[in-house]
Amino acid sequence: MNTINRVVFNVIFCIQILLVFLVFVEERIQLPAWLQVVGRLHPLVLHLPIGFLIFLAIVAILQRQFIGDSARHILHIGLLVTSLSASVAALFGFFLSLQDDYGRDALMLHKMSGVVVSWFCYALLLWHHNQGKMKLFYGFGALTLVTLIVAGHTGAVLTHGQNFVLAPMFSPPVLTVDNASVYEFAVQPILDRKCFSCHNETRAKGGLVMSSVDKFKEGGKHGKAWVEGKPEESRMIKAFYLPLSHDEHMPPDGKPQLTPVEVSTIEAWIKSGADFEKKLNQFADGDSLKFIVAAFVASRADAEAPIVEKQYNFNPASFDVVAELNTPFRSVFPLYQNSPAIQADFFLKDNFQAKSLEELKSVANQLVVLNLSKMPVTDKDLEVISSFRNVEILNLNFTRVQGSGLSHLARLENLQSLSLAGTSVKSNDLEAILKLPKLREIFIWNSQVTDEQRDALAKKYPEVEIIGNLFSDSKVLTLGKPRLENDGVIRKGELITLKHSMPGVTIRISKDSSDPDSVSSEVYKEPFAINESTVLKARACKDGWYCSDILEVTCFVEGIAPAQVELLSPADPQYPGKGAPGLTDLQKGFADIFKEPSWLGYRSQPFSAAFDFETRMSLKEIVISYGKNIGGFIFPPDEVEIWAGDDKKNLKLVKKVKSKLPTGYTPNGVEALPIALDANTSYQYYRIVAKPVAKLPEWHDKKGEKGWFFVDEIFFY
Amino acid sequence: MENEFLKNRFHVTRRHFLGKMSLGLGSVALGSLLIPDLLKSGEDGVPQLTGLPHFAPKAKRVIYLFQNGAPSQLESFDYKPLLNKMTGEELPASIRMGQRLTGMTSGQAKFPLVGSHFSFKQYGQSGAWVSELFPHTAKIVDEICFIKTMHTEAINHDPALTFMQSGAQQGNRPSMGSWVSYGLGSENKNLPAFCVLLSRGRGNGQGVYSKLWSNGFLDSVHQGVQFSSSEERVLYLQDPAGRDREGTRKMLDHLAQLNAINYKEFGDPEIETKVQQYEMAYRMQTAVPELSDLTHEPDNIIKMYGADCLSPGTYASNCLLARKLSESGVRFVQLYHQGWDQHDNMVGDMPLQAQDVDRATAALIMDLKQRGLLEETLVIWGGEFGRTNYCQGNLRKNNYGRDHHPRNYTIWMAGGGVRPGIVYGQTDDFGYNIVKDPVHVNDFHATILHLLGLNHEQLTFKHLGRRYRLTDVAGKVVHDLLA
Repeated sequence: MNTINRVVFNVIFCIQILLVFLVFVEERIQLPAWLQVVGRLHPLVLHLPIGFLIFLAIVAILQRQFIGDSARHILHIGLLVTSLSASVAALFGFFLSLQDDYGRDALMLHKMSGVVVSWFCYALLLWHHNQGKMKLFYGFGALTLVTLIVAGHTGAVLTHGQNFVLAPMFSPPVLTVDNASVYEFAVQPILDRKCFSCHNETRAKGGLVMSSVDKFKEGGKHGKAWVEGKPEESRMIKAFYLPLSHDEHMPPDGKPQLTPVEVSTIEAWIKSGADFEKKLNQFADGDSLKFIVAAFVASRADAEAPIVEKQYNFNPASFDVVAELNTPFRSVFPLYQNSPAIQADFFLKDNFQAKSLEELKSVANQLVVLNLSKMPVTDKDLEVISSFRNVEILNLNFTRVQGSGLSHLARLENLQSLSLAGTSVKSNDLEAILKLPKLREIFIWNSQVTDEQRDALAKKYPEVEIIGNLFSDSKVLTLGKPRLENDGVIRKGELITLKHSMPGVTIRISKDSSDPDSVSSEVYKEPFAINESTVLKARACKDGWYCSDILEVTCFVEGIAPAQVELLSPADPQYPGKGAPGLTDLQKGFADIFKEPSWLGYRSQPFSAAFDFETRMSLKEIVISYGKNIGGFIFPPDEVEIWAGDDKKNLKLVKKVKSKLPTGYTPNGVEALPIALDANTSYQYYRIVAKPVAKLPEWHDKKGEKGWFFVDEIFFY
Repeated sequence: MENEFLKNRFHVTRRHFLGKMSLGLGSVALGSLLIPDLLKSGEDGVPQLTGLPHFAPKAKRVIYLFQNGAPSQLESFDYKPLLNKMTGEELPASIRMGQRLTGMTSGQAKFPLVGSHFSFKQYGQSGAWVSELFPHTAKIVDEICFIKTMHTEAINHDPALTFMQSGAQQGNRPSMGSWVSYGLGSENKNLPAFCVLLSRGRGNGQGVYSKLWSNGFLDSVHQGVQFSSSEERVLYLQDPAGRDREGTRKMLDHLAQLNAINYKEFGDPEIETKVQQYEMAYRMQTAVPELSDLTHEPDNIIKMYGADCLSPGTYASNCLLARKLSESGVRFVQLYHQGWDQHDNMVGDMPLQAQDVDRATAALIMDLKQRGLLEETLVIWGGEFGRTNYCQGNLRKNNYGRDHHPRNYTIWMAGGGVRPGIVYGQTDDFGYNIVKDPVHVNDFHATILHLLGLNHEQLTFKHLGRRYRLTDVAGKVVHDLLA
C-alpha cells in the first residue's frame, strides 16, 4: 500500500509541475496527433474528480457515522484518487485547449479555475496526509468545491453557450415578416438552431463566429463563409453539400442536420446578396428568395413555430370569477385557452338588467370583446362600459343607444371595432369616437346617419372604415304567393282562410275562375265560407312590389254523404285505396303521391260505383275529385256517366259528360270535375261510371298507351 | 386434492402478504404513470371539452350554405372558353388519365366536350370569373375567396356528402357541426350549437340524409337540430293548453330528479344528454320565438333577400333565419339546398337553381357585413363534387347535361378570417384536372377548424381504441387562404 501511495503522490506532483510548465510555454507547443486524441478525453475524465470530491464531502460531513478510523482511511484514499484524476483532467484539458478555437476569455477562466482545482486537491491531499488542522482542512475543502463549480460552469459555457440552462424560460422576441429583416426572420433562426452552438463568440470552430454579424462577415480560418450572389462558390454552402461522412460536412454528423428547405433558404439569401438588413417587401416580386421564405414561413408555421399570439399586458382574471359570471343569459369566456383576454356575450333581452352589465366590473381589465347586440342598453349604460379600458371590439347593434352617451366611449383607448347598426345615433354623435387612435371600423347601417353624412365622415377620417347601407337596389321585386291555410276537404261551417307572410299585403281573390287583378277584384278581408267545391284564385299585392303570381287551388267542400257506397268495378290491384269507403271518407289524396290509401286507380276498366242515399235525394251537382299527373299517364276521366233511379237494378242514364282533356304537360294537381245535374234529379240510388283515357293523345311522349284515372273523393251537392 | 392446494394458498404469512401487496400496488402506480388512462373509469372522454379554442380564433361562428347535388363549376365560377371552342369533340385520353366513370356514363360510347351555355365576365379586384347566372354574387366578389381546386375521391352523392360533412366516406362519424359543437360548445346556451335548415330547388334533386348532421360517436348533445320548413320553425314550442311556464319548470325539475336517480343506478350518459336537451328546449321556448318572427325585419332587409325570404321553407328564408341564428350565437348553421344534380337539362334547370340562391346568398353576406358580423362569421358556399366537362346523354344543340366529377370543384368562403377578394388554385384549360394548389376535403376541414381557433390534430375523441378527428389522418391547413 505504501508503495502505491508513494508512487501516486509522486505522479501527482509531477503532473502539477508539468501543468505549471505548460502554462508558461503553451504558445510554443505543437501537439502530436496522439496527444490530441488524449486531449479529447478531457470531457470524459473530468467527471471523475467531480464525483469523488462530492463523495468525499459527504463522507467528511458524516464522519461520526463511520466505525472507528474508517472515515480517515476513506478520505485518504478518496483524496488520492481525486487529486490524481483532477490533475489528469487538467492535463488533458490543456491538450484540448490547444486544439480547438475557443473564445479567449471564456477559455482563460475555465483553464485557470480547472488548474486551481487540481492544485487545491493536491493541497488537500497533503494536508490530510500530514494531519494538519482539521478546521482549516474543511475550509479549504469548501473553497475547492466552490472553485470546482466555477470551473464546471465555465466549461459548460464553452460547450453549450451562454444561458443554456435557463433558455426555455425566456422566449425570444417575436419576429414577423414585417418588423424584421429577411436575415433576422428567416436565415438567423436556422443558424441559431443548427450552427451557433459551435460557431459563437465563446467557441468558434474553424475560427468562424456566426453569432455576430460583423464577425460572420469576416469569416474564419479558411476565409469568408460565402461569396455574395454566388452560393455555388460559397464555402458554407459547399460544406452543406459535402457527403455526411466527410469531415468538413456541416453540420457535423451526429448533430441535427439542415432540411432541404433550410438549405435553399440560405442559398437564396446568399444569391440575393447576403444582405443582413433588407426586409422581405424590399425584394423584387420575382425574387426566388421571396418564394422560399414564404414556403419557409408556411412550413415553419406548420411544423415548429407556435402561432403568433397577440400579447396582452394585463393579468388574467381568476378562473372562479369568470365561472361565476356565466349565466344562461350571459356568456363570459377567455378568447382562447390560457388567454388573459375575455369576451362577454348577452342573450335574451327580457332577462337583461342594468346590473348584468355592472357585474362585469369584476373583469373590467380583462374584457376585450363585448357583445350587447339587441339588449336594452341605454346611453347611461355606456358610462359603465367606458370603464372597461381594454375593450377592442364592442357590438351595440339594435340597442337603445341614441347617441348622447357615445362621448363616454371616447375613453376606450384600445377600441378597434364598434357596431352601432340599428341604433338611432346621429352623425355628429360619432365625431368623438372617430378620433380614437386604434379605431379601424365602425358600422352604422340602419341608424340615423344618412348616406351623404357617411361619405362626409369617411372623407374626414380616412383611416376608419365606415360601413353603412351596402344594399341599394331600386329594382321592384315580385311578392310571393298567398297561402291557403285550410287542409284537405272543407268541412261544413269551415271558413276559407288565406294568409301571406309579409305584413301589409292585400290579397285579391276570385271565385269564378277568372284571374284576380290588383284593382278590381274582390279583396280578401277575413275568412269566408263557400258552399260548393270551387276553384279559388288568389294573388298578393303591395305598394312598391309587383303583384305575386296567382295561387290556384281547388277547394273541395263537404257535401251530402250517401248512406252506402259500393264499388262495382275493382280498382287496379296496385292502387286499391281503401275501397268503397274511401270515396266518401273526406280524406283527400296528394298530387304527387298516388300509391297511397286515399287514391283508387283505374286503367284497364272503367270506374263504377253505386251510391245509396236511403231516401230520395235531390242533387244539384256531383263533383269528382281526380288526380292529374301527365307525366305519369294520369289524366282526367275521358267520359263520365251518371245513372240514377229508385230501383237498384233499374237505373236510367241521367247525364253523360265528356271532359276536355289537357293539351299539353301541365303541373300535377288534384282537380275537380263538376257535373251539373238537371233540375229535378231526385232519386235514391245513383251510379257513377268513369272511363279512363283509352289512348294517350298525340302530343304525349308515350302516345297511344292506356291512360290512368285516379279518384279519391266523390262529392254530392 | 384441490382443497389442499387451496388451503396452502391461504396460508400466507403477514410478511408474505404485505410484501406481495406492495409489489402489486407499486406496479399499478408505475402503470398509472406510464399509461395515464389506466385508472380512468372507462368512459371515453367527457362529452364536452373545456370549450376553449387552442389559439385566438378569427371566426366565432360558421354558416355553411351547402348546395346539395353538386352545382356545376363550369356554369358558375370556373370559366373555360376552350370547352366552348371544342364543343362536340371527344375528351382526350391524356386529359382524362383514366378517371373512373359513374355507372350512369360508363355505358356511353363518346364523351363529347361541351362548353358553358352561359356567358362569363370578370368582376372585382381579383378579376374572378362569374357566370351570368349569379349576378348578385358577382357584385360581392371582393368579399369572397374562391377555391377552384377542391378535390375529393368520392364520385357519388352519398359517399361524397358524407365525406364533406364528416371527413370520411363511410358513415357513423360525427359531422363537422358536431365536432365544432364538441370543441367550442354553443355561444348562446339558449339555442343549440348546431342547426340545420333544409330547402328544395326546382332542379333535379338528390336526397339529404339526417346522418349528415349526426353526432356519430360523440355525445348526442352535439347532434344537428333540424328546423322545420313550415311556418312554425320549431314544432310544439309553446306550452300545451292549460299549463304555464311555472308549471313547465316544476315538471322539468321533478323529471330531472327522477332522471338523476336513474343515472345513479345505470350510469347511461344518454340520460344526462336527455336532461340537458329538456333544459335546452325549455330555454329555446323563450329564445326561438324572438328569432323566427320574421315580420319585424325592416323593409330594406326583405328587399335585399327577396320576397321569398318570408316564406318558410325557401332558401331565402333559410338564409335570413341563418343570419338571425348566427347573430344570436349559434355556433354552426348549415343550410342544404337541393336540386343541383344536373345530369340532364342543364340549360333549363341551372338558371332556376341559381335564381333560388343567388340573391339571398349575396344578401346574407351584405347583411352580416352591415352588422359588423362578417369578420367573425365564416360563410361557406359549395357542393360535394364538381361536374364533368363532357356531356352526359345526348348533346343537343341547346341543352346538355354533366356527370359527376371529383377531380376538381369550386367552393367559396367569405368572412371569418378568410382572405377576401382572391381566387385560389388553378385548373387546366379543359376544366378537368388541377394545375396548381389542390385543396383536398381534409385540408378544407383543417383550414376551417384553424379559422375557428382549433388545431385539427388536437381536436380528437377516443373511440373503439383509437383517437378520431374530423380530418382523420390527413389534412393540412392551407395558410394561403388565411387573411
